[in-house]
Amino acid sequence: MQNIISGLNQAHENDSGEERKLIGDRGDYFLNRMQGETGVDISACYQCERCTNACPVSHFMDIKPHQAIRYVQLGWREDLIKSSTIWICLSCEMCTTYCPYEVEVAEIFNHLRNMAAHSSITPKEKSLAVFHQTFLEVLQKSGRVNEFRLMNTYYLKPDILHERIKNKTLKEDLLLGITLLRKGRLKLFTPKSKAIKEIKRVYSQTRGEIV
Amino acid sequence: MRLSFYPGCSLEGMASDYARSIDAVFRNLGIDLVEIEDWSCCGATAAHSISQTMSVLLPARNLAAAEKMGLDLVSPCAMCFNRLRFSQNMIKKKVFDIPWPVTGNVRVHDMTRFLAEPPMIKSIKERILRPLNGLRVVCYYGCQMVRPPKITGYTDYENPQTIDRIAAAAGAQVIDWSYKATCCGASIGIARREIGESLTRRILQKAQQAGAEAIVVSCPLCQSNLDMIQKDRSKRHTPVFYFTEMLRLSFEEHGDPKWFKMHFTDPVPLLRAKGLLS
Ligand code: SF4
Ligand code: SF4
Repeated sequence: MQNIISGLNQAHENDSGEERKLIGDRGDYFLNRMQGETGVDISACYQCERCTNACPVSHFMDIKPHQAIRYVQLGWREDLIKSSTIWICLSCEMCTTYCPYEVEVAEIFNHLRNMAAHSSITPKEKSLAVFHQTFLEVLQKSGRVNEFRLMNTYYLKPDILHERIKNKTLKEDLLLGITLLRKGRLKLFTPKSKAIKEIKRVYSQTRGEIV
Repeated sequence: MRLSFYPGCSLEGMASDYARSIDAVFRNLGIDLVEIEDWSCCGATAAHSISQTMSVLLPARNLAAAEKMGLDLVSPCAMCFNRLRFSQNMIKKKVFDIPWPVTGNVRVHDMTRFLAEPPMIKSIKERILRPLNGLRVVCYYGCQMVRPPKITGYTDYENPQTIDRIAAAAGAQVIDWSYKATCCGASIGIARREIGESLTRRILQKAQQAGAEAIVVSCPLCQSNLDMIQKDRSKRHTPVFYFTEMLRLSFEEHGDPKWFKMHFTDPVPLLRAKGLLS
């Protein structure tokens, strides 16, 4: 209980100056929407915290998994979209596997990540969000993902490059890259899939383009 | 016997040694792996995270191709296996418009489970020329192969046994331990190194505490995480093998140190000490 309360207080600090959010003041529009889209009975969660206890990275999250489920029930959408939680989540599925009520926590987080990726809010864990984005970018260009191209494209993203220079990790990354190349683990060229056109088309469609 | 084979992107790059060992093992077992023609990436966690539609459609394209071949599908990569199964599940719900004709009915096996079936274990045992006697190993499964059980079909997801059975059949001494299915951090280390390393390091430590001389895995990402985290320390080497590398070693009279040249943690000294490599 202590955890839940401190979690809630944190959320209030975030929207400083704003009025205190009352429980239930948003109705259950967001909850219903999430339940409808994921097919998960989110109302069933009774805050046993098993998901959080099973989660290997909960201590890196600002909103713990069980709290996040409560947030969904309360309709606190933007707190979730702004959280580090949704990006830190590894999709390891421990939470889903051990929830006594079959609340598919990992699937809910995944859905929230999808929402966040299509929202105007800058992700709190930008480096993680950009990694996923880069992966898809490389994928739609060649139908398969060449790890060398993936890493290159990722490190050359302005935000990432800037962050690496600031943290002084760029040299280390470069050295690792060279070792991997030398060991034959990174390949400069790998076959492309001939289906690039089909895949590009799907990629554009999912981004709302009419093709 | 013929199977359709979906290698996945890693097997052309980071895990091309895995691909070579699979090839050798299946050749020896007399099973024909027919690569799905012009397969494409399954989308991994990225598609799932950013666009659920892509995460259903990308594997669906490969499933459609496998259905056309009319063969069961086998996947060596835990992530691909999970994504293929997930996609099948969603295809059957009929909420996504898939541009390829696909029913989702093809049987998708993960490679370890396929080889751990009793008849396969029997045929593995028949082919062993050099049992891995005295090699103490732990088997590590990670997440995607076993969880969520509704998708993967594993009933023993807390204590999976497939790689254990295969390693035991190859003659290794398999040690029981508690971290078989704990997450290694997957690709999080690329963007957030400290998180990735904290998870991987714990698994490595637990494996060593259990008394393992080597770790046996089936997932390319688990292999590179567990292997590469050992690149900077010098004290204790715990090589990380793909399970097919172990099999290959036991299938052939004379192993070749070259098979392991992509490993960060060189397994050759350990194998020589055990008399498993000349
Ligand atoms: S394990 Fe399930 S019921 Fe328990 S807190 Fe988590 S989501 Fe709620
Ligand atoms: S799937 Fe995400 S939230 Fe669930 S246990 Fe794994 S890391 Fe934690």
